[in-house]
Amino acid sequence: MTIAEFSESLSATAVSQFIQTTDGLIPSLQTVHIICIAVLWGSALMVDLRVLGTGLKSESLRAVADRFIPPIWVCIPILLVTGVLLIVAEPGRTLTNPSFYLKMVSLILAIFVTLYLRGFARGAKPVTGLPVALAILSMLLWMTIIVAGRYIAYTT
Amino acid sequence: MIESFFDWMQSTAYGTAISETYFPMVECAHVVALTVVAGTIFIVDLRLVGLASKHLRFTQLSEQVLPWTWRAFVLAAITGGSLLMANASGYYHNTPLRMKAVLLLLAGLNMAYFQFVTYRTVASWDAGRPPGAARFAGWASLILWSGVIATGRWAGFV
Repeated sequence: MTIAEFSESLSATAVSQFIQTTDGLIPSLQTVHIICIAVLWGSALMVDLRVLGTGLKSESLRAVADRFIPPIWVCIPILLVTGVLLIVAEPGRTLTNPSFYLKMVSLILAIFVTLYLRGFARGAKPVTGLPVALAILSMLLWMTIIVAGRYIAYTT
Repeated sequence: MIESFFDWMQSTAYGTAISETYFPMVECAHVVALTVVAGTIFIVDLRLVGLASKHLRFTQLSEQVLPWTWRAFVLAAITGGSLLMANASGYYHNTPLRMKAVLLLLAGLNMAYFQFVTYRTVASWDAGRPPGAARFAGWASLILWSGVIATGRWAGFV
């Protein structure tokens, strides 16, 4: 079965039909998705900026990471659930879309970079070139995720 | 008169260029910026309502976080204004977008009242639990900015 055939049979399922035909459900799911991205991206930014020596600099990197990395792990499952429901609603729009795969690859990389930064923050070592580079990479990855997510609407 | 102003905005070379070429890019920048605005405001709001960052003094948190909110807000306002100009005549009749304008106004008034009235007593609650008026401002902000996101997203479906 090709991805296109799978998309077609998925969109014919009762769940997909329900999401597609319930008035306002898709914008509501997208709203929850965007609010979670705001919480996640705002939190990640606090950690990244602190590694770069700005943002909440009155606090230690460890304190900033302990406060702002847990919300990232809370948001990701909610984003996955709302994201999967949005895919189920319109599989043909997403599953054959290169923007979607760019978003997913970036997400996996962003999770690993966040795990590294969490470990670095706990080590209480002086900030060197590698954590700085990965904090910048973290910001670039989260922005790529947001941009690629929006571009699903524009690419096929 | 307002409607003719919206028609004029769309007819400008700038509005046309956004509409014909740059809309997706500007929209992406808008989403990147608005998520920073909401995400960082929520950090301060959660401190006000007493749900997070409780060990931090309120002023310490707000003075270091809100500058990033304002930077992102400038970008969100410029990109949002540009998106509006791309299709101003259509957006003039867009009900969710009108609601968004009202919610933005209320969020601004909430912020102004907090800044100029409630915040004057900050010294007495900076390290502890904020008073009722400050907690109210925090909840109002959480709800209003969530509403701004919801109506903004909904506007794209009308």
